[in-house]
Amino acid sequence: MRKLWVYLLRTLLFALCVAAWELGARGNPELTEFFPPLSLIFPTAVQSIAQGELPRHLGSSLATFLKAYALAAFIGLTGGVLLGRWRWLFHLFEPPIELLRPLPTPAMIPIAILIFGIDESMRIAITVYACTWPILLNTIDGVRGAEPVLIHTAHTFGASERQLLLKVILRAASPQMVTGLRISLGIALILVVTSEMIAAVDGIGFYILETARNFEVAEMFGAVLVLALLGYLLNKTFVSLEGRAMAWYYGSKKREAR
Amino acid sequence: MRGPGRLQAESRLWGYLFLLGLLALWEVLARAEMVNTLLFPRVSLILTYLGKLLTAGDILAQVAISLARSLSAYLIAALFAISLGIVMGYYRVVYEVVEPFMEMLRPMPIVALIPVIILFLGLGWQMKVFIIFLACVWPILLNTIDGVRGIDAVLVHTARTLGASPMQLLRYVILPAALPVIVTGLRISVATSLILMVISEMIGGMNGIGFFILNAQRKMRVLDMFAGIIILGGIGYLFNFLFRLASNRLIHWHLGMTRLTRR
Repeated sequence: MRKLWVYLLRTLLFALCVAAWELGARGNPELTEFFPPLSLIFPTAVQSIAQGELPRHLGSSLATFLKAYALAAFIGLTGGVLLGRWRWLFHLFEPPIELLRPLPTPAMIPIAILIFGIDESMRIAITVYACTWPILLNTIDGVRGAEPVLIHTAHTFGASERQLLLKVILRAASPQMVTGLRISLGIALILVVTSEMIAAVDGIGFYILETARNFEVAEMFGAVLVLALLGYLLNKTFVSLEGRAMAWYYGSKKREAR
Repeated sequence: MRGPGRLQAESRLWGYLFLLGLLALWEVLARAEMVNTLLFPRVSLILTYLGKLLTAGDILAQVAISLARSLSAYLIAALFAISLGIVMGYYRVVYEVVEPFMEMLRPMPIVALIPVIILFLGLGWQMKVFIIFLACVWPILLNTIDGVRGIDAVLVHTARTLGASPMQLLRYVILPAALPVIVTGLRISVATSLILMVISEMIGGMNGIGFFILNAQRKMRVLDMFAGIIILGGIGYLFNFLFRLASNRLIHWHLGMTRLTRR
């Protein structure tokens, strides 16, 4: 009964929002240029998808995103394990990290432009820079937080450093590694779009800014909706993969809580 | 000093030496013209230029403009998100009704909305404040909801049984109990506000420190650019520092308590 109420209220709220947009836009035809009704946005969005323009830009962004994310994951995870395992290495790198960490990432974009120019390598570099932080810092935390008892036990049973790393430490640190990877997912998308807006001639960020500047508002809204959908799907995919890979961890936590 | 503490201080010293070494390497490479000095001038040159820029004072006006935007947006976001978060955390129905909408909106990269908001609000401060506001709301809102939902029900029931009014319940039970989690959201948003400040000034700005840095790069005034970046880093550092100070005062009882239970 209660569930039904919630469901009804939800639908009502959703319908209200859609209706407000549609009627608000239709009631003020002089505003259509900025604020087209939804019934106009959807056909335009479908059209720009069918014509291949939106998919082309989206594909370019996705390629940048995947390359940068993979690279950041590699750097962050390896670096994190090294810095987490060897304390002296961590202390060596701590001051440079502390110096760079509070700097808002977009401030690095101009430097990246100086080094890489305005092609894809710049966008990849800046995205890698931004995404590496959460992965790196979480991995360091995870590796350091591995139960000493686990490590001592493994040592006592004669585990080699290699076995210790692969079978004990990586496994113990994996929940935090995954957290870092999840945080970086959203950051990667933001930085790809931002760098495309500031310096690029393709990609979804460029397309959104370009259509806005040309007052092609329906195309712009269409692209924004597609981008939101992409963000949603990426997140969903990650969470479902995470659920599968980390099932053992959540299971063990649930048992502990009991 | 105990053994491990001294060891740590010692290795931190090595860390700072390492950092100095890196900067010295830059200086030497630039002096020997082994890097393109048009792009990477000597560190000493950048630092003296930074000093000149700061004493001239023009840059401080740009910084003040930027800070006014990010701070006001941050405060509005905090007020809005904490109030909404308390309502959503306390009344289950509200949360269940609104939750799918949040799920839909949350993955949206805020940056993508900048062109949309420029259309509606123009290129002035309203656009920037609104963008920063939007981005800062999420971490605070989600943390407040989490914090309020995580409150021990016994606390609330006890207060009610003892005849606490809704305002008293809010003031003496809900807010203090949820505060540590809320503060986490507030901290995340400090960084977010600076990031969106810079981005919004870069994409649609005519002043402010973010515009200053990008404009310097476009005009190849590399000294200006590096000096601006250093100043921005300083602001980030200062904000983090001030926030830690304020939050330690705000939730010192919580920090003390967790320390006690950990023992």
